[in-house]
Amino acid sequence: MDVQHKQHRASRAGSKAEKKKGKGKERQKGFTEKAFAPKSGRRADRQGRRKVELDQTRLHVPLVNRTPEDEPPPVIVAIVGPPGVGKTTLLKSLVRRYTKQTLTDAKGPITVVSGKKRRLTFIECNSDLNSMIDIGKIADLVLLMIDGSFGFEMETFEFLNILQAHGFSKVIGVLTHLDLLKKASTVRSAKKALKKRFWTEIYQGAKLFYLSGVLNGRYPDTEVLNLSRFISVMKFRPLIFRNTHPYLLADRVEDITPREQIRLSQGTCDRTVTMYGYLRGTNLRLGTKIHVPGVGDLDIKTVEILGDPCPLPDVDSEKRRKLSEKQKLLVHAPMSDVGGVMYDKDAVWVNVPGSFTRGNVDVLQGEGEQMVMDLQDADITLDDAVSRSQIRLFGSSLKSLEVRQTANEESGMNHNHEDDDMENGMCSDASQSDSEEESESEIGSSDDDEDDEIPFTSSSNLKNTGRLSRRVHTRTLPSTSMSLKQQEGIKYADSDSDLGEKNDEDEERRVRFAEEDEDVDIRSDADVSEGGEENTEEEDTPKWKTNLVAKAQVALASSQQGKRKDWIRLIYNSELTPEQILNGQTIPTVVGEEQRVDEDDDFFTIKKSSEVVLGEEIEATKEGWSKDELSKWEDEEILESIRHLFITGRDIENGHQTANDEATIDEEGDSNHSGDEEDNSLQDPDPARIASLSAKKEALKRKFDEQYDDPSAAITTDFYTQAKDAISHQLSLNHAEFASIADSTARALVEGFRPGQYVRIEIGNMPCEFIQNFDAQYPVIVGGLLAAEERMSYVQVRIKRHRWFAKTLKTNDPLIFSLGWRRFQTIPIYSLDDHSIRMRMLKYTPEHMHCYATFYGPASLPNTGFCTFNSLKGETPGFRVSATGVVLDIDRSVKIVKKLKLTGVPFKIFKNTAFIKDMFSSALEVAKFEGANIRTVSGIRGQVKKALSKPDGAFRATFEDKVLMSDIVFLRAWYSVIPRKFYNPVTSLLLSDKAHWQGMRLTGEVRRAEGLKTPTNVNSVYKKIERPQRRFNPLVIPKKLQAALPYASKPKLMKPQRSQTYLQRRAVVMEPEEKKAVALLQQMRALRKDQVAKRMEKKAEKRKEKEKKREREQKRKGDKEKERKKEAMRVIGQKNKREQEAEEGKGWSKRQKT
Amino acid sequence: MAATAQSGNLVKFSGHQHLRSRLVLSILSGKPVRIDNIRSHDKNPGLRDYEINLLRLLEKVTNGTVIEISVTGTAILLKPGVISGGAIIHECPLSRSVGYYLEPVIALAPFSKRPVQLTIRGVTSDDYDLSVDLIRTVTLPHLQLFGVSDGLELRIKKRGAPPEGGGEVQFLCPIVKQVKTLNFVDPGKIKRIRGIAHTVRVSPQFSNRMIEASRSVLNRYIPDIYLYSDVYKGSESGKSPGYALSLLAESTTGSIHCAEATSQPGVAPEDIALQATRALLAELERGGCVDRKHQSLVLLMMVLGSEDVGRCRMDEPTPRTIQFLRDVRVFFGTSFKVVPADSNDASCHHLLYSCYGTGYVNANRTIA
Repeated sequence: MDVQHKQHRASRAGSKAEKKKGKGKERQKGFTEKAFAPKSGRRADRQGRRKVELDQTRLHVPLVNRTPEDEPPPVIVAIVGPPGVGKTTLLKSLVRRYTKQTLTDAKGPITVVSGKKRRLTFIECNSDLNSMIDIGKIADLVLLMIDGSFGFEMETFEFLNILQAHGFSKVIGVLTHLDLLKKASTVRSAKKALKKRFWTEIYQGAKLFYLSGVLNGRYPDTEVLNLSRFISVMKFRPLIFRNTHPYLLADRVEDITPREQIRLSQGTCDRTVTMYGYLRGTNLRLGTKIHVPGVGDLDIKTVEILGDPCPLPDVDSEKRRKLSEKQKLLVHAPMSDVGGVMYDKDAVWVNVPGSFTRGNVDVLQGEGEQMVMDLQDADITLDDAVSRSQIRLFGSSLKSLEVRQTANEESGMNHNHEDDDMENGMCSDASQSDSEEESESEIGSSDDDEDDEIPFTSSSNLKNTGRLSRRVHTRTLPSTSMSLKQQEGIKYADSDSDLGEKNDEDEERRVRFAEEDEDVDIRSDADVSEGGEENTEEEDTPKWKTNLVAKAQVALASSQQGKRKDWIRLIYNSELTPEQILNGQTIPTVVGEEQRVDEDDDFFTIKKSSEVVLGEEIEATKEGWSKDELSKWEDEEILESIRHLFITGRDIENGHQTANDEATIDEEGDSNHSGDEEDNSLQDPDPARIASLSAKKEALKRKFDEQYDDPSAAITTDFYTQAKDAISHQLSLNHAEFASIADSTARALVEGFRPGQYVRIEIGNMPCEFIQNFDAQYPVIVGGLLAAEERMSYVQVRIKRHRWFAKTLKTNDPLIFSLGWRRFQTIPIYSLDDHSIRMRMLKYTPEHMHCYATFYGPASLPNTGFCTFNSLKGETPGFRVSATGVVLDIDRSVKIVKKLKLTGVPFKIFKNTAFIKDMFSSALEVAKFEGANIRTVSGIRGQVKKALSKPDGAFRATFEDKVLMSDIVFLRAWYSVIPRKFYNPVTSLLLSDKAHWQGMRLTGEVRRAEGLKTPTNVNSVYKKIERPQRRFNPLVIPKKLQAALPYASKPKLMKPQRSQTYLQRRAVVMEPEEKKAVALLQQMRALRKDQVAKRMEKKAEKRKEKEKKREREQKRKGDKEKERKKEAMRVIGQKNKREQEAEEGKGWSKRQKT
Repeated sequence: MAATAQSGNLVKFSGHQHLRSRLVLSILSGKPVRIDNIRSHDKNPGLRDYEINLLRLLEKVTNGTVIEISVTGTAILLKPGVISGGAIIHECPLSRSVGYYLEPVIALAPFSKRPVQLTIRGVTSDDYDLSVDLIRTVTLPHLQLFGVSDGLELRIKKRGAPPEGGGEVQFLCPIVKQVKTLNFVDPGKIKRIRGIAHTVRVSPQFSNRMIEASRSVLNRYIPDIYLYSDVYKGSESGKSPGYALSLLAESTTGSIHCAEATSQPGVAPEDIALQATRALLAELERGGCVDRKHQSLVLLMMVLGSEDVGRCRMDEPTPRTIQFLRDVRVFFGTSFKVVPADSNDASCHHLLYSCYGTGYVNANRTIA
């Protein structure tokens, strides 16, 4: 019902037009174009350059994002902050905003759907440093909460430093408790100050949210809505570490160890644990080792893909602009009990503790209820019980009845293979005459025990969708579960209802299976034969006869063109030797295998001599061509047949045809013949030829388009766009290459499990403490390791002590590293590059400077960032991040040296030669150092020559000059230092008190804890050094030499005069005037002396007065300071009190602003 | 030959075959390997001298490798260290040519700590292994497909024909952070043929005779054929007389196929040349983007590529390649998708090998 409105036409004449014109001009007045035009050509050029440079700064290095765009894993939003800041309140508010549900007890990850393309996993980070480290490694977005009334706390800064070391994820600041500030001006100034600090920590203009008070236990809806809008539009740049490692944040952990085993070991046996979660990062391959931070390195037993418990909206809801209400209700939080109420896609589950709950003794139990309860206690399946029981048919029979399963298992396995083939569809067109026999034999073996076969056809995980098992029983979600390995152990159901469910589904499955047999859809020969075999028993017209023709055709085709092999299966799933595969042998039938098993039953077996190789087989790269293969090239026709492979030859299609028809090759130029050929092609158009023609046309068209139509496509783009295009092209190729593999098992085999899939990872050998002390508030991460990261080696890192860390770091003190996924304690040795000649050990880290550190530990790729801690405990005073750095090198040996000075003294001196002792203790040691450079204290250089026989360790040395007996001779050597092989993973998740992990302590710490005194070494005690005055003998120059010396060099040493001279001896008699003058001078001097003494006295008096005054001043100031301190302490005391209350659970009610 | 991943990381094999590729895979993946039953039923049991020499070489190339050989020599245990590279000098026994030793080193060298400068002495060409000419002209260009190019060089200092040897080559290889992903599905058409006919301690005329004979067959296809005659004299020519012809054909897309034949007693040089030429033609007929001798090298580099899909079109796998693919799965957990390259064309025996790279990063590399 569109009403066509007349289009508005602006008046071009008249007063209105005049007015508009005037306005336009007025506006134009403000901006004179000339004002901004460059004055000169040079300036214009400079402006242009600047603009281009600014454009370049906006670009970032293109990075590959390995997270699939169509179905990405949920974004991890971590809520981090000091205790009592309102994390849980925010979490509840956000969950409420997305799902309209109020959580009572929020624990562990909570996944919600936030939009059509985005899901969010919220996780609250507790104040334990271990959790902060782990969260910092996986969070995509951090909501950093800050108490506005208090300011930043140490934890916040610590967390930011951790983030910085492990790749900075996006951070949004959230300021709370602003309502505690009464005055509006205080609020404003607090906001301003905090914002400034926040910006310096992250970047200028980082987003900071303000949340005002709490209403109904939540933050105001509008503010939360605004925050959620910011979260939903957040873009994430891939972080390199996360983009090279697969990982998973476990949102559900279950112990599936057989109960009997636990009971027998009294709970101390290693557990088998399953972890559920969305895969993130890169593809998780089979055989990848994993690290669970807080536990250690573990092996994956199996991985299964489960149905998505919190799926993105599907296609039909996609059409709507908004999320449907149903979608909004979806929340996946298995660790936290969502108020006892679980909203499912199609149902609401209410968990009522009632009559069927165990441990509920006070409720009266009827007989039926009791039975149900007892059934829950069953440890073993019925099947197992039967096999264990010792039933005998007759009292006299020797053996008890046993359930045989081997044959069934085999047939089941074959069946699986069969299914794989059908699903693969790759070999559907190829003939499978060889597998025909195989399937026949299978049927033979499986017919009689069809019932037993069922457990294999129904995958045991069909109903497993990643939910808690007790909620599963009426779930109808489609599941794509699949098991990679045959489940070997017995599966224990958690409840009896589970068991019943399984049986039901099995039956259902069986019925379906039978139906399939009835109306066989002929897809492959194997299928046909199978159906045919069964039908012969029932029907009159055997089905195998119906498509004999088709079969014959297939067989003919296969014989003509050689068999098309299923290479993947032959290579990876068969026991054939490579030669057998190439000779066209196929996978041996099952019957043969069984026979072999039978043979093995015999006690003695004849040893096969097939292993013995008669002639020496030489492993050669060049495989020799056989005589026939080479001699066929003597034939002219054969030589011509490969002409199409050269650029001078014709097209492949033509060449192919020529290979078929020899006549055409010989008379290429014969137009008649080529005409015939065309006719032929007209009559029955060869599909291949048509395809090739169309492809050619397409290529030509594209070329034309590039040249003429679309100039933009052909323009050679800049480096940035090219790199981006290459990345996206490769990603699309990755996506497309294996998408054709329908069978998810086979697909997982070649490419692993893709990120975004919800998987269940089974992990063996998990320490029992993990389960016993499990606490959902501590995040459980499964981090995949690269091949290089599994090994231990010496890791060299560049490290810098954090400027906020109070102490210096000392070589050989244990340090806790957070590197890669791991947290571990190890012992580093610090070093510095000494003139690029050697790595010289440092005792302490230098101030404000990077240095190297080398430690023994798990290898990590170069360029991985890390941070270190001296202690992880919460009560550690001050800033806990002690250093940060980056990995440089991984090696199996280290080249750190420290200086070693060997000293000796000469005991006999010749001209330039001296005998030195006390440097070495044996001749062997001397031999090791022959030719080494030595030096005296006075700087005379020399060399070690040879050991002397007499005093042990003495040697002959030559110097550039004569040394003195008093000289000390020293040899400067370098002693290599090797870091201690100490690696201690931080196993915080295994503790009951997770925040108090205790690693190796320093000796001093141990002594302090034990109250021991440091033992003193007598030799280390400082004593007064007494150095006797050195006496030097006078220099004596022989008379002869003296005589020969020129006068200038002659020693002019004379004895001091003994007798007094005349001047000293004479008596002095003064004249009277002289006497007077001397007396006067003396008097004046006495007066002066007295004057000075008086002045000094006065000055001292004044100084004393001044001192007194200053003291008074000081006292006044001290009082003021005391007052100030008192006030500050009072505030802190109040804060502490508040925190205490918050911990006791009162805090929340206090905040509720009455 | 069954390979099973044992508890822990140890990989076990049995038999002496495919020793080189298994050792290389072990060193690259860092998984220790134990190989039992090495010619245990042979009259002359245990490792051969050239195999022990290979282990020595690997020990030189790496740092921290532990190799334990059982008393009988029928079992070895290799715990790999890091690939260190650097300047290495190695003497080979005369039982195998240097190609036998160079092949594993070429696979390891791009991932070492320092650029490899390996000087290796011994026989330079024989009937079993790639001659140094082929390694220089064919194997190294294959590495260039994966971004290992600057400074990649093989210098032939001296040639040494069997049985006495006396040759010397220098192999220089740069290090890379990560090899590029290969996507090579178009074999193209042969655009040029090159060849080297070398002679040592025989009449230089022999090389001309070989060239002539080879040209008589190849001239019909394309005009761009250059066969070089390479005559070594004096001290550069080793200790024994010999000659050989190595040929390679390069396509428009850069795929290279090669063949060679070495001198045999009592066979005319013309016959040797024809043998090499026909082998090249047979190789060309097999086609594909990669030569049959280099299948496993290319597949290895594909596995070690970044975490993207690499594709390559090749001929049917050789027995060596099949076992190699199985071993790769044991060591790296990566399987290839091997499907016919052209599903419409039944006569086409080419296969398309595609795999998802493991994202192998050269962890040995130093940054400082």
